[in-house]
This record gives sequence, structure tokens and C-alpha cells, in this order.
Amino acid sequence: MEVLTTGTKAVVTRTANRRSEGPVRAPRQGGVRRAVWVGAFLAPAVALVAALLVVPFAVTAYRSLFDDNGITARFVGLANYRSLLTDPDFGRSLLNTVMWVVGTLVLPVLLGLLLAVLTHSVRWGAVARTAVVIPYALSGSATALLWTYLLKSDGAVNQTLSAVGLGGWQQDWLLHWPLNTVVMIVATTWQSTGAALLLFLIGLQTIPAETIEAARIDGAQGLQMFLKVIVPQLRPMTVVVVGMSIVNSLKTFDIVWLLTQGGPGTASETLALTMYRQTFTLNRYGYGAAVSVVLTAVVVAASWLYLRRQVQPQRGGAA
Amino acid sequence: MTGRVVRHVLVALVSLLWLLPTWLVVVNAFTPTKQYTGSPRWWFSSWGLFRNVRAAFSSADVGQGLLNTFLYATVGAAVAVVIAALASFAVTVMPIRRPGIWFWAIFIGTVLPLQTFLSPLFTGYARTGLYDTQYGMVLVYVALTVPFAFFVNRNFMMTVPREISEAAQLDGVNWLRMFLSIHLPLARSALLAAFIFQFTWIWNDLLFGITLSLSPNVRPVMATLADLSGNYSTVGPPAVLAGALVASVPTVVLFFVFQRFFVNSLRLTS
Repeated sequence: MEVLTTGTKAVVTRTANRRSEGPVRAPRQGGVRRAVWVGAFLAPAVALVAALLVVPFAVTAYRSLFDDNGITARFVGLANYRSLLTDPDFGRSLLNTVMWVVGTLVLPVLLGLLLAVLTHSVRWGAVARTAVVIPYALSGSATALLWTYLLKSDGAVNQTLSAVGLGGWQQDWLLHWPLNTVVMIVATTWQSTGAALLLFLIGLQTIPAETIEAARIDGAQGLQMFLKVIVPQLRPMTVVVVGMSIVNSLKTFDIVWLLTQGGPGTASETLALTMYRQTFTLNRYGYGAAVSVVLTAVVVAASWLYLRRQVQPQRGGAA
Repeated sequence: MTGRVVRHVLVALVSLLWLLPTWLVVVNAFTPTKQYTGSPRWWFSSWGLFRNVRAAFSSADVGQGLLNTFLYATVGAAVAVVIAALASFAVTVMPIRRPGIWFWAIFIGTVLPLQTFLSPLFTGYARTGLYDTQYGMVLVYVALTVPFAFFVNRNFMMTVPREISEAAQLDGVNWLRMFLSIHLPLARSALLAAFIFQFTWIWNDLLFGITLSLSPNVRPVMATLADLSGNYSTVGPPAVLAGALVASVPTVVLFFVFQRFFVNSLRLTS
């Protein structure tokens, strides 16, 4: 960014005393014109996000200061947040959410990376890629029904285990914590690895063939090539995949809601589910809003911590 | 040599693991409702798929839902990708003060939990007359998908060598021309990827469909299907599964097309 700005400045000073008329000359003029150009490019995105996402969120945040049952609301300050701290369900929900973050970083992201590189080097890789990507295209309701089939106490997994003589391994997969959370992370892996795989494939495209060739001439092979050349070159896309994985796992809702509804009891609830249950099932709008504010704070902090290091150096590095 | 074998075995194993559940979806969607026992089937017992699909289509307006969803996913994702490309061009190429702040002003949209929007959006839509309209649905889907499309595009545009835009600037090309003739074509694959992802996201969205629409003319297909599984007892899981399978066909097709595009462009570079 630095280089570019100084570059533009140079252009601007070079042509400073030659004022051009039409708006098309904007890059050559500083100040207002430039601001208008930038504004025109940025405004639609910023306005949409602000009006339809940020403002509704602010409304919810404001609501968290009230004891609100949907009919009457009474200002209570931070009382909702104080009761969160002492709520054991909230602690469990937080723990589950952390498990989701770690689990989906390890499984779909790592598998996506490995598969992108592996299928790229095998002739029939396209077949394997299709197999992995199809679940990503399936709808949530189909996926949920499917995993119910698989994981029910008399479901496909248990049937298969007893059929191959491993009856002792049969489990009530969705009925015990922490197994239910782990199993649902596996189900999510099945569905979302395809997305990571595709993003990494796009990233592989941006690696110049000469870089790979040069590394090969230098004797890099297999694992070494993967770790020393491909992984570092993939970094811009890795930032996208890891960033999205963190954000999405913190917001995990659909699959848990469809498979266990957060149960048994509240054992497999994530923060998003706790919020949903408090708000829409128990009609505790204020308390639910407080959960969502905490959840948002965690997501923002996590992604900022991650992106702060990833976004800046590239800009500085380019300077 | 051993490395090659290991690679083949690994890829084969993974494909198998991934295909097994997919197989189950397909087989069970073919099971006639009457023969459904509650436990899964591993092989086709008959060709009940069409009856199941018909059941799904007749007991809920799945056809109209599909049309609505197609409109939202195509228009919504296309508009979102264009808007996102403009914004990513602004923060990566244009000389802008504090690009980090603008990045966050848009990226924040992917960070906020979806459920926090529901109740305020519902109230706002009801007041402005956007509730239960196709405009309203497109609008909310565009807003929801812009941030991620922006993130992908921005990170891709950062890999475009800045010498290119500097040269263009020296030639006195205006920003719009530079965007249209240099950065847009270069970011083609990222744009396409963003479109596919956002199309799929909108296609599979349930939350906003059930919250912001009601009438069959507006309701997207996933919401219609959810109504269907609500009255489980009358149509039965195979019909729901069959409906879900039909509703998933467009996205699967899209991914197939996409896949070929990627394999081709990969061949070019490696």
C-alpha cells in the first residue's frame, strides 16, 4: 500500500499544474476527486453491511441492557452479563464452542489443504475432489437427516459395527458429552472440507509454475516441497480459510440444532444455540441478547487477533 | 515409488469415506415411504424416488420455492460479488487512508452471529414493507454475502503485482477502466469461486427464509422443505430426503461445472 501511495503522489506532483477537466482523470488529482472515486467503489458494500447487519446488531446489543420478555422491558444495566458469569450452562456452552473452534481448525482445514495438494498430484484426483465437494453442495436439511440416520442408536454406524463384529464399539453417539460434540464436529468435517479444498485449489493456482520448477531444480521433493514451498506460497488463501473456519465454528448453529437441539439437556449447546434458546424458546430477549454480545465479542477478538498478524505484514511487506 | 502408492491409497480411502454417506442419502431417498422402517437402507429396494419427489412437490409448493430460491441465489450472489469486487479494489489498489478500518467495516459482516440480526431485521422489514417481498429477500441476501465475497476477492487482489496498477496509473488510466480491464479479469477465478460459494450459501439458507418470508410466492425452497419435515407424519422421511435431494441438484451441478473449470486452469499453471 505504501509503495502505491507514494507512486500516486509522484504522479500527482508530476501533473500538479496540469489540471484535467473530465472526471476520468481522477487518479491524477488529489483531494476531493479521489475521495469521490474511493467512495463510489466502497459505498455500496459499506452501506449494505451497515444498514442490514451492523444496525440490527446494535439494536440487539442495546436490548441486552434490558430485562425483556418480549412484552415489557425494564432497564437493568449489566445485570444480564453478571448472571451469565454464574450460569453453569453458559460455561459448558463456552467450552463446547472452544471445542468446535479447535476441532474445525484441525480437521476440515488441514484435510482440505492435504487433499488439495494430494489430489492435484494424482491422475484421478478430480474424482476424489468431487467426492469431497458434493457434501458441501448438499442442503442442511439433507445433511441433518443423513447424520441422524447414521448416528441414531439403531443407526447405520452401529449396525455396521455389529455387522463386522465390533459390537462392543457401539455407542449412543449423540447422547453423551463430550462424544456428541466430537461426533458432530466429524459430521461438519464431512460437509465443509470441500469448501476448504476448493479455496486451497484457487490458492494453488496463484503459485507461479516457475517457483515450483525452481524449487524442484534445487532438489525439493515431496514433503519438503509441501512444507517449504507450497504452504508458504498458499498463505493468502490460508488466511481466508483459517479466518473463515474460526468465525464459522464460533457461530456453529445449524448442525447442532438439527441433530441434538443442544441436548441432552443443554450438554451440546454452543453459544449460538444458547442465545437462540434464551431468546426464542424462553423469551428472555435481554439475556439472549447478552449472550449474543459476548459471542460477538469472542468472534471479533479471535478474528482480529488472527488477522492483525496476517493482514498487516503483507501490507508492510509490500512497502 | 512408495510415496506414490501411499498417495493413491490415501486419496482412495478419503474418497470412499466421503462417498459412503452421500450414497446413503441417495439410496434412502429412493426408498418408498411405505417400506420405510426407521433404519437406513444400503441398497435400492425399488425406484420409489419419483413417487417421493411427487409427494414432496404436492404436499408443499416445492416447485415455486425452487424458482424463488433460484432468483435469490443468482441475482443475490451476482450483485454481491460485483459490489465486493469494487470494494476490494478500493482497499487494495486505490490510495486510501486507513484501509484496515474499511476492511473491518465490511468484514465485520461475516463476524456477527446470524441470529443477532433476526429479530431486529424482522421488525425493520415489517415497518418498511420489505417483509415477505422478493426485493427484501434479495436485499438481505446481498448484504449477508458481500462480506465473505469481499474477503476472498481482497486477498486475491493482494497477490496482483502492484507494478501492473502503477504502470496503468502512469498511463493515466482512470480507476474504473483499470478495474474493468485489469483487476476484474485477473481476479476471474476468485470472483467465480466467491459467486459459487455465495450462490450455495443463499441456496441453502434456512434461517432468513423462515424469518423474513411467509407466502409461497416469496418463500425460498429450504423454508418450504422445512415446513415439509414439520409435518413428518404425513409424508415421511424418504419424501423429505427426496425433496432435499432434488433441491440440492442445482448446487451439485454448479460444483461439477466449477470443478472442471479449476482442473483446467490448474493444468495451465503447473
